[in-house]
Order: sequence, then structure tokens, then C-alpha cells
Amino acid sequence: MSELLTAGLDVGSSAIKVVVVEDGGARARVLGQAVERIRRREAARVAQDVFESVLRDAGVEEGDLAYTATTGEGEIVPFRTGHFYGMTTHARGAVFLCPEARAILDVGALHTRAVLMDARAKVLSYRMTSQCASGSGQFLENIARYLGVTLDEIGSLSQEADAPEVCSSICAVLAETDVINMVSRGISVQNILRGIHDSMAGRYVKLLLSAGARGTVLVTGGLAADPGLVAALVTAAEQFSDRGKLDIRSDERSVLAGALGAALWGAFRARRLEASGVTP
Amino acid sequence: MIDDLVKRAEERCRDLRLSSVRAWKEKTGMPAVGYLPIWVPRELLHAQGVLPVGLVGAGQDLEIIKGDAYYQSYICHLPRSTIELGLNGSLDCLDGMLFPAICDVIRNLSGIWKMQFPDKYVRYLDVPQCFERDIGGTFLRRELEELAEGLENIGARPLDLDALQQSILVWNRQRRAVQELYGLRSEQPWRVPTSELYLILRAGLVMPVEEHLSMLVSYADAVRADDERRPMDQARVVLTGSFCEQPPLGLIKTLERSGCYIVDDDFMQVHRWIKGPIADEGDPLDNLVDAFLHDAIDSPTRYIDEGDKGRELVERTRANRADGVLFCAPSFCDPALLDQPMAVAAIEAAGIPWTGFKYSEDTGQFQVIREQAGTFADSIKLWS
Repeated sequence: MSELLTAGLDVGSSAIKVVVVEDGGARARVLGQAVERIRRREAARVAQDVFESVLRDAGVEEGDLAYTATTGEGEIVPFRTGHFYGMTTHARGAVFLCPEARAILDVGALHTRAVLMDARAKVLSYRMTSQCASGSGQFLENIARYLGVTLDEIGSLSQEADAPEVCSSICAVLAETDVINMVSRGISVQNILRGIHDSMAGRYVKLLLSAGARGTVLVTGGLAADPGLVAALVTAAEQFSDRGKLDIRSDERSVLAGALGAALWGAFRARRLEASGVTP
Repeated sequence: MIDDLVKRAEERCRDLRLSSVRAWKEKTGMPAVGYLPIWVPRELLHAQGVLPVGLVGAGQDLEIIKGDAYYQSYICHLPRSTIELGLNGSLDCLDGMLFPAICDVIRNLSGIWKMQFPDKYVRYLDVPQCFERDIGGTFLRRELEELAEGLENIGARPLDLDALQQSILVWNRQRRAVQELYGLRSEQPWRVPTSELYLILRAGLVMPVEEHLSMLVSYADAVRADDERRPMDQARVVLTGSFCEQPPLGLIKTLERSGCYIVDDDFMQVHRWIKGPIADEGDPLDNLVDAFLHDAIDSPTRYIDEGDKGRELVERTRANRADGVLFCAPSFCDPALLDQPMAVAAIEAAGIPWTGFKYSEDTGQFQVIREQAGTFADSIKLWS
């Protein structure tokens, strides 16, 4: 292949995302992609397997790659060419998926970040949720387990709610206690989930506004694939619109934003290194 | 091979009770003397049959119980762990302690040591800040002669100039081996991870120079022969400010994993305090003095004209083809932190990117530093 080929691996705390990209510039094209949950396996092994699988599906040999970039906990990937920090890659992936986005809300398993960037995907500033797990995907995953629903069901069930229950948005322990009380009181799963989505969304919108975000915001990270959360975010953005207008969006490939951004920055570095005659 | 060497070095570094020093003493019957960072005339100790034992704190491996009672909360961590080691008996195999002129805290520590351990030889090693031979040189020579007499009183051999000459040659070889490793790391940083080099250098503080020289040569040979290690696209950085209290190993690993190649640093400066080989002709004591006066590295603990502060850092950054500078100093380290604004000014004037953070030898959480170093490396790779 004559086009520049690069790969991005986003090693998260619960899933590994891999993307292979052709060109990596203005005409970048995704040749292959995958998301694989780690599920108590060795993360490095999962990364290797899913990487090889994506290459195979894309018809690309590892030797054809000009740059293999990692992000997240990608330090565990020994075959990487380089590593980029999570905010840097999510910003780049977001600008690729949604060129008008000037902020992202990266909702991962362990924490959430509001990141502002410019049109070149240069990170300008960020705000992050505090240590508490109530702002994370891991928390939502725990609640789903208590309620006996799968992760894939959360979004659609939440959107069926007719009378959402108010839930603590400050502390995961209090929120879990709230959920147990709700179950005891016979509140429907749909209304419980929407209540949790609403509490998380309210917190995230405040995070975005306090970071200075205005205009188009792309949701990235694992929870970007949860339509219930995205819908709650849109509603919360309207509720807080007196403090600033936010146009919350998601993309079907938002979950891959980190890996995508890593692959695109990898292409940028590959070209720069080639121009300077350096072989990484 | 590399793993074995690094493991052996790490074991030495973490052996707070200095069992290898105890074994050496039992075998040789000669005294061992501890010293604090950053320079002591190890050649002179070696020539008198004394084992110099470098002490750079206890890192994360020791809970400080008594040490905190001796220093206020705004004082760095190194003296606390040193006192703790002294009071819990870890250092009882040392026949004496040398406290070089670094800062007020170390000077005070020498006084505390005298009171706490009246049976031990304790010396505050003053060094000149005037580098004219007739003034500073005369002063330092007298200091060294007094030191030699003091060592003799605890069982060392009398200072013999021929023996000193031989010792200088041995230490010259050790210095050259260290410098060659630094050169190799600067050229091919993927072959010599700083997290390994740090351990190899730190282990050298607590072993005879001959053993350390052998370790340095073996490590250099092993990394040169290892073709499994391949280059990655990382930002080349100079790390500065860590010359006294040493950072935890986890911090160095964090920086490397964040996308930085450390191509020059201030760790264990005693190995590199004298830049070139010490002259091997003429009076060896004068040669030792001259090397200190005229061939030592720039350091915040050494007088540098205000207009010249930071100049050597800029030169090191350029010589090592570094993309940026990490100011990485211990919390409350006066020499490092008081000089930092001048060094930053010099770095900025030269158009070199930099970032800075602080640590303590027992820092256990690196997430914030990881974030800072990671974004710094990204900014270099993508925006500079």
C-alpha cells in the first residue's frame, strides 16, 4: 500500500479500542476498528489480540504501519511507536468526527473530563470530575448489575422512563443507597435508570460550563454509546442554558475517539519524523 | 542479564540496613563512613582504606516515626529519613558521617548527628565558594588534610600520596564508565532507560568502587548487545533539580511511560561532580583540590555568578538535543527551588519548552505528574 497507514490503541480500564487509519490527514479514512471489553483478562494480551484482529480484517500487515500510537493506559503495549495523552487523542478524534466541536465530554469507566480545544484539536483547558465514582461509567455498570440489566439495555430502558426518580449525584455510595431504596419502593427500572442518567448529566453539564465550554460538544469515551445518557445530557444542557448554550452531540464512533485520535496524531508524527529524517 | 543486573542494583538500593557494607567491614576490618549528597572526596577515603557509603534517604521503604520530630513541616524529607535510619540502628555499621555543604538543613543535621551519636566521627565538610587556588584551594586542601586525620582516628590508614594517586586512577575509570553510559543514553535512550540507570548509579553509592565499575561495564555491555529494545517516538527531556533528595523510582518510570526520554539528569551527582579525569601527575591532593575548583559541574550548591545561572542547563539541553526541560525538585529544597527562577529565565530566553513539579522521596501517587508530563510530551511532539 502506498498510502500512509497508522493504528491507534486506546487502552481503557474496562475496554480496549483499536482503529486503523489510511492517510491520517485531511482525507483520512478508517480501514478497521474494534472495541473489546477486557473482562478480567490480561489487558496487554487483549490489546495484542484485538490489534491483530483489526489488522487482519482491514487487510493490513503490521509492517505496513508507519506508526502505532497508544493512548489511555497504552504504556502496557510494547509494540507501540509512541504514546499520546488521553485528552490529546480524544480532542483529535472528536474534531475528526465532528469538525465543529470545540469541546468534548470524555466519559470513561473511572472518570469524566470536559476538554476545550481549538479547530486544530489543540487542547486549551480541561476540568475533571473529582475522585468519586458517581461520575463514572463504572458506577453505571455497578447499578446495571444491581438492577439485573445488561449494559446495552441501559440506554433504551432509560428512554422509556415516564417519571424519573431524583438520585444523588455527589456520592456513589449514597446513589447506590438511593437505588436500593427505589427498588424497595417499587420504582420501575426505567425510572431508576433515567434518574441516574439525569443526575450524571446534570453534573457533567455543570462541569462543561465551568470549564468554559460553549457551542458544539461531542460526547466521547465508553458512555458515549449510551443513548439514555446522551438524551439526558441534551435535556440538562437545555435546563442550564441560561449559563451558556451547549449543543450536545454523539457519534456512532464516539467510543473510538481516543483510538482514532491516536491513529491520526500518529500519522502526523510519522510525516514529521519522515520529513526530519528520523526513524522512531 | 540486564534484568539480573538491575535487580541486583535495586536490592542494594533498598537494603536500608546496609548488609553489604556490614559484610565488607567484616571481611576487610576497615571502617565505613557515610556521606550525604552531593560531593565528598571519595578518592581520599578509598586511599585510606575507608568505604564511602552514600546516603540519599530511605525512599518509600521506611515509615518515619521519630524523624519528623526533628524537623519542621516546611523542611524536605531526606533528613527525616536519615535520622530515622540512624535512630533505628540501620546505620550503626558506619563509623562516621560526612555532611557536605549543601544547605542549612544538612548543616543542622550534622549538629543533630553529633548530639545523637557522640561516639561516631561526624564532620561537616565545608567547601570553598571562592575558586582561586590561593584562597579556596588552600582552604580545601586544609579541609581534606583534617578529614584524613579524622579518618585515621577511626581506624583508617594514614593518607599516603601514592595510594591517593592509585585511588584517583580507579575513580577516574568509574567516572568515565558513568559518563559513557550517560553518553549512550543520550544517543540511544531506548537502550538505557533512566529507571534502570538510576538504580545502577544509586547502587554504586553503597558498594566498593571496584564492584561498581564492574557493574557499570557489565550493564553497558548488556544494553549495547540487546537488540530487542527499539526506539520509540518520545520527547527528549533534561531533568533537573533532583541532586540531593532522590525521587522515588515510580516517578522516573511514570515520566518515561508518559512519553519522555530523559536524556540528561541530576541524579546521584557525586558520580559526575568532577567532569573530567583528575590529573594523574604531580601532587594528588593538589590535583583533587584543583578538580573541585576548576572542573566541577554547575550546581545550585556552588557559587555561580547571577548572570551565568542557567547557562550550563541551556548548554546541556542543546548538547543532548533535548526538546524540553523538566524542573523536578524535592519539595522544600532551597538550593534547587531558589535557583529555579533564574534557570527558567535562561531556558525561556533560549526558547526551550519546560514544565515543573515537585516530589518527596516517599511520594506514592503519580497521576498528576503523569498528566503533566504526558501533556508536556504531547505539546513538544505536536505543537513545537
